[in-house]
Amino acid sequence: MSERTRIFLTGVGGQGTLTATNLLALAVLDKGLPVTSGEIHGMAQRGGVVESTILIGGWQSPRISHGEADVLLGFEPLETLRALPYLKPGGTIVSSSEAVPPVAVSLGQAEYPPFEHIKEKAEACSGAATFVPCRTLGLEAGALQSGNIALLGAACSLGLVAVDVDELKAAVAKHLRPKLVDTNVRAIDIGVAALS
Amino acid sequence: MASDLLTPAGGERHLLLGNEAIVRGALEGGVQFVSCYPGTPSSEAPDTFYRLSPKADYYFEYSVNEKVALEVGGGAAVSGLATMVTMKHVGVNVAADPLMTLTYIGAPGGLVLLSADDPGCHSSQNEQDNRYYARLAGMPVFEPSTAQEAKDMARDAFKLSRESEQPVMLRTTTRVNHLRGPVDFGPLPEQKDVVTYSKNPRRFVPVPVVARMRRLELLKKLEELREIAENSPWNKVSGSGKLGIITSGITRAYVNDALDFLGLRDQVMLLELGMSYPLPEKTISEFLGKVSRVMILEELEPVLETEIRALVQRLALNVEVAGKMEGFPHLPRNDEYSTVQVGKALQVFVQGQEGHAPELCAAEPDLPMRPPNLCAGCSHRALYYSVRQVFGPDVAQSSDIGCYTLGILPPLAAADFLLCMGSSISAGSGAAKGIAANKDSQGHGLPVLAFIGDSTFFHSGITGIVNAVFNRHDILVVVLDNGTTAMTGHQPHPGVLTTMQGDNPAQVDIEAIVKGCGVDQVRTVSPFNLNKTQAALEELKEMSGVRVLIAREPCVLFARRALRKTPKVTAYVAEQGPEVEACLEKLACPAFYRDGSDVAVDAEQCTGCMVCSQITNNIKARKRS
Repeated sequence: MSERTRIFLTGVGGQGTLTATNLLALAVLDKGLPVTSGEIHGMAQRGGVVESTILIGGWQSPRISHGEADVLLGFEPLETLRALPYLKPGGTIVSSSEAVPPVAVSLGQAEYPPFEHIKEKAEACSGAATFVPCRTLGLEAGALQSGNIALLGAACSLGLVAVDVDELKAAVAKHLRPKLVDTNVRAIDIGVAALS
Repeated sequence: MASDLLTPAGGERHLLLGNEAIVRGALEGGVQFVSCYPGTPSSEAPDTFYRLSPKADYYFEYSVNEKVALEVGGGAAVSGLATMVTMKHVGVNVAADPLMTLTYIGAPGGLVLLSADDPGCHSSQNEQDNRYYARLAGMPVFEPSTAQEAKDMARDAFKLSRESEQPVMLRTTTRVNHLRGPVDFGPLPEQKDVVTYSKNPRRFVPVPVVARMRRLELLKKLEELREIAENSPWNKVSGSGKLGIITSGITRAYVNDALDFLGLRDQVMLLELGMSYPLPEKTISEFLGKVSRVMILEELEPVLETEIRALVQRLALNVEVAGKMEGFPHLPRNDEYSTVQVGKALQVFVQGQEGHAPELCAAEPDLPMRPPNLCAGCSHRALYYSVRQVFGPDVAQSSDIGCYTLGILPPLAAADFLLCMGSSISAGSGAAKGIAANKDSQGHGLPVLAFIGDSTFFHSGITGIVNAVFNRHDILVVVLDNGTTAMTGHQPHPGVLTTMQGDNPAQVDIEAIVKGCGVDQVRTVSPFNLNKTQAALEELKEMSGVRVLIAREPCVLFARRALRKTPKVTAYVAEQGPEVEACLEKLACPAFYRDGSDVAVDAEQCTGCMVCSQITNNIKARKRS
């Protein structure tokens, strides 16, 4: 991992993308590394696209443009596909493999791209692309939303995001409400285990 | 994950949202009074003040609009209180009238105006540059670029405002309001300085004779403030060489990142303006004297560039100025900047050409979008469905600002024109005149509807009603009363039943206001009752003059969170067929989905409003398991 890392995160409103972003940024800060993070909300109603960023190692800007992300964390496969231009050549992807269909798809007005197509494109665009079933992992841990934390666990275990698995667990214990800690620590373990 | 912003001691480090950092800075600056009207990207600042207010020692209010917020705040500052007033950029348009005079009479207690601009129109109807307002009114400007600066500049803005007794603008942009970064806390003041109110009508009542005097006083103050800007630690020079860069706001972050990333830092001299107005002319002219060429980097309008070009001309400086006014590459007047974009401009400026751009993954064309949509169970969808049933497409719809603007999308298609917050009734009144003049051969013109939400009604819709009554306009107004300020995050307004801090003891009744304004033709319905809503619309459609339908049903998210209403039933498709298809097509509720050739309802998303079951008997309710 390079000293300065730019992480682009994307997901769907209501999935907990911003909670996961905030947690990872806190874990980075707890480690004593310079961090800045960004998010755009407002018109992002439930079901809209939510994009956020974490820039580690001394960046001042909270923005990531096309071709700048070292790491792309996609909490929904269609959004991973949509965000591929943000990845720098040779960057790394960790993504959920489980779809949250847009309304237009639910209503039969648009087609969701086949997962195989998403996987091929992601692999072609990146140095390495890893897919984990976020929704399933979250439910296994005990809460749908903790699927995002499982994905973060996987990214930590792969050494992509400046903090390791134990540091992420420490951040969960320190920053989440006590009743959420067990589920999310479990989610991290499940996310790590999903890689093998 | 909320940080304790009320920690009295300094020294702690927290990861804060820009808007939270502003709150901490105001606390460190000794804030005593806060008023606001919410609006993205400013909202988390007042919402944080509100959340903390039961445990804090300042007064807080959500005012009904930005003009009122600044008037209430202006009065508080005149009375001696250290005051913060927050709003989004277009809110300053609403507040412009008091602002232009407040700078004349001044603010003995100190007043900091947070103007949250929105380059790129992430959630706004324009991307106006409010640095112009600071110049128009005559007020100093701080422009932070990090969370730490947002905190520190808010604190320093208070200090400057109290010392100078002049209002100060803290001007942010969306990226600053919504970034997160580490913030080192300073201490909260142990005791807040008290400024006692003293009568002085020859200062505070700007009749012409006073205004002329205060105008001179303001001009004198601005020169004193310019001197402070010359010596401000927020205006700093770094680097060396014959090539200069002058920049401010979030663009500073892009410039600094690009200089490091591209390895150009040792080839330029950089002047960063954190306190950007009054323009520190000595600092800038000294800087310009050391370079042969200078590039001005700022988002949106060429505000600094215009002033710096004028300074170069006035002082006859021998320096070449590069910027957006001459169409320099990669420096448009629209949208946000970025590190990549600023980097390209820097490369052209320093090296004469852009660097080699890496090959990127092409964007995948035609992916299904996720446009902002009315929620499943939203009462606005039900109302708009009824409007379509009663009026069809042949109606002119004056829309307004709130969640209900999202009804613009088909099949609801419930917005035809829109100017600004609170414009629907007045703009609709005017439009009805032109539309009435364009009747067809049978003498029929389009009826005109105005849609306005409850918070927007209180914000600036009431004046439109009064005007329509007085001038006998022909308009059917629909107040979409969902009992909260839904779009910006459920802030209270005068009509709400309850708030985060208990029930509203002084609920203001919209129906009583409308009747009190002189409207006789008023109906109130629940939009979830389609028959009654459509019957009321039919009745009002046949009338002329000012007519008001109040469609009252709580926002479904607010009902769940604040009113603790949980859905008891869920809809299900009992029998497939064309009626169910038609319901899906016309209602477009996001809880519906296609399952092969069938239509189904996602019980997770369904809120049990049961509007669909009134459209077709083939959809029924069942108890939630």
